[in-house]
Amino acid sequence: MELLNNIPPAFLLIIGAIALLALPATARKVGAIALAALGFFVITQLSEGTRGNPEFLGHTLEMLRVDSTSKAFGYIFTISAFGAFIFSWSERCRLQNTAALVYIGSALGVVFAGDMITWYLFWEMMAVSSTFLVLARNTEASRLAAQRYILVHLAGGLVLLAGILMAVNSTGSIAFTLENIHQNSTAKWLILIGILINAAAVPFSSWLPDAYPESTVFGGIVLSAYTTKTAVYTLVRGFPGEEILIPIGCVMTLYGIVYALLENDMRRILAYSIVNQIGFMVCGVGVGTPLAIAGVVAHAFCHIIYKALLWMSIGAVLHRTGKSKCTELGGLYKSMPITTMMTIIGALSISAVPLTCGFISKTLITAATEQQHHLWAWFALEVASAGVFVYACIPFYTFFNVDRGLRPKEAPRAMITGMALMAFLCIYLGLNPGHLYGILPHGEVLAEKASFYYTYIKSFDKVVTVLQMLLFSALMFFILLPLLKRTSTISIDFDWFYRKGAKLFYDAMDKTFNSLNKAAERLVIKTLLPAIAQFVIVAPATLTVMLLRPVWRESLDADEKSLKKREEELIARFSSGTFPVAYSAIFVLIFIGLLVLLGRAAG
Amino acid sequence: MTTKKKATRKKAPANKADAKATPAQDNPHLSPRFWKIMLILCGTTVLLELFVHRHPHFVIEKGEPATLPDMSDSVLATMSNWFGFYGVYGLLACVGSVLLAKGLSVFLKTGKDYYDGTP
Repeated sequence: MELLNNIPPAFLLIIGAIALLALPATARKVGAIALAALGFFVITQLSEGTRGNPEFLGHTLEMLRVDSTSKAFGYIFTISAFGAFIFSWSERCRLQNTAALVYIGSALGVVFAGDMITWYLFWEMMAVSSTFLVLARNTEASRLAAQRYILVHLAGGLVLLAGILMAVNSTGSIAFTLENIHQNSTAKWLILIGILINAAAVPFSSWLPDAYPESTVFGGIVLSAYTTKTAVYTLVRGFPGEEILIPIGCVMTLYGIVYALLENDMRRILAYSIVNQIGFMVCGVGVGTPLAIAGVVAHAFCHIIYKALLWMSIGAVLHRTGKSKCTELGGLYKSMPITTMMTIIGALSISAVPLTCGFISKTLITAATEQQHHLWAWFALEVASAGVFVYACIPFYTFFNVDRGLRPKEAPRAMITGMALMAFLCIYLGLNPGHLYGILPHGEVLAEKASFYYTYIKSFDKVVTVLQMLLFSALMFFILLPLLKRTSTISIDFDWFYRKGAKLFYDAMDKTFNSLNKAAERLVIKTLLPAIAQFVIVAPATLTVMLLRPVWRESLDADEKSLKKREEELIARFSSGTFPVAYSAIFVLIFIGLLVLLGRAAG
Repeated sequence: MTTKKKATRKKAPANKADAKATPAQDNPHLSPRFWKIMLILCGTTVLLELFVHRHPHFVIEKGEPATLPDMSDSVLATMSNWFGFYGVYGLLACVGSVLLAKGLSVFLKTGKDYYDGTP
């Protein structure tokens, strides 16, 4: 037990991932599920405090900082991994399993990191390993998406690294604490931007809906949980009460809704819904009160559960039909009834309908904005809570709407097991808020709220108002459905700036510098240089001719014709640079004479 | 209880679509039964609101620090305490989002091959 208490869970998963490579397929799958379960068990056994201090580059690292915040994230990261590995039983891919385990392990590494070097190393490992989950789809589109994905994350990582280096430089300490990050204001902003890129905050949001939908079925489930949530975790650690996060979070929630309305691909709608939900968390971090922070951690916890459930069920549909577009799906409820039920539970949870886990977590964040009298933030989050009903279009377009004659088999048993686990957690936590509230940071502010009685009976007015808002929004949604005809198009997002913008920039640079280059070539190489070459030949020749002409005329008494001939001879000698010895001797004499004269004049 | 109701409500349109069996039809048909259930549910929540005591928003209550910004003269803060506020707000939020999306689609929607053929 003592040994387990000192091993960072990250190592368990990463070393396990490498060890599993040597095993045959079935053992590898069992091993991955067992590793996730073992990781969960180890985290339950971790006692609070800071441990695991190897020396690195003259600093002492803190690989294990255990408190209620890191433990809460650790629990949900391993639970989600457990569900995802069960779900992926029927998919065979060695690369995917290994990449996922390293990715999840690195996410755990970030969550338990007590210093900024450990944090940064695991952060970059996450970026690299997750790229393989996009690549594993093995299509041209996924290869290009993975390329853009890794470029964005490497750029974000560099911004973060610059911030960390500045912070370490100005404080002399590598500790990952609030004080250290806020010491130097440039460092603080760089770190914040680095984190916000991973949190898919507007305007750095487009990498997420660009890359996640191109991943494999399993890849989508895993990706949806870790990168953005570790970013939320680091925000909770480093930036509680940072006011700029409130408007950023509100914009993210609305952005997620509007783009989801425009989108046709189910998996892309799910990707936008991640941005929407992260918006609630970012806003909550900005509010920063104990209630808000508890709400953020609770919402991250629940969000991972129902988002995994939704990615699983749409993944199951993709697995069975090979389709994921609204315009290609419909009427599947008869052939996939269990998947339909699971998707509906997921959609109800994301809409925060009472009795689901979304209700007990999202309401904490809105309550915190209200408690702090952030009027505009409260109104924006309520719009987002009502508008979140657009995600109900996921089950609607997939399983109902119009029957397109698709008659696939029900999802494989392993997939149903994975979905059932997540769906169970959605309802279970919704009915027993105390079980979630008990593991949150600042649990003391929730002590009163942590019961079914308080949440649903004593606060019945809250239940009624939330239902009223959702139902009226739903009513309107169905009335306006004809307006929302899904089209087989794509929507321009912020990635325009690096996908089209980069090309425009390249073209502009190409036009400017290459035409400058051409003009310079015309002017210097083709005109100026020959002119100079001509000048250095002709000028001394003409000068000499001018000097010699009177001498020749007097001394040789020559006629015009022979003079002309001598001149031509001389010019020819100048241009070929060949002179008889006599000429050379005379020129040397003249040159020495000039030098002497100049020397006299100067001396 | 709520979960079950929502589930049946969603099934309604599908039954109708299935009965008509129009696979090429893209406009979903929602049955009268679906609309009836929807309206009954909406009406129930409004009726229930009559019988519950709603905790007012943005009012400095006992035990809260008085340093919070005072919202007593804010129209929006007052409105949020009116009867039926949530229903109207949910309705407007949905209409607003849809119209915003519709408006933006003019500028943002583009062909599948916009980025050299890769989505």
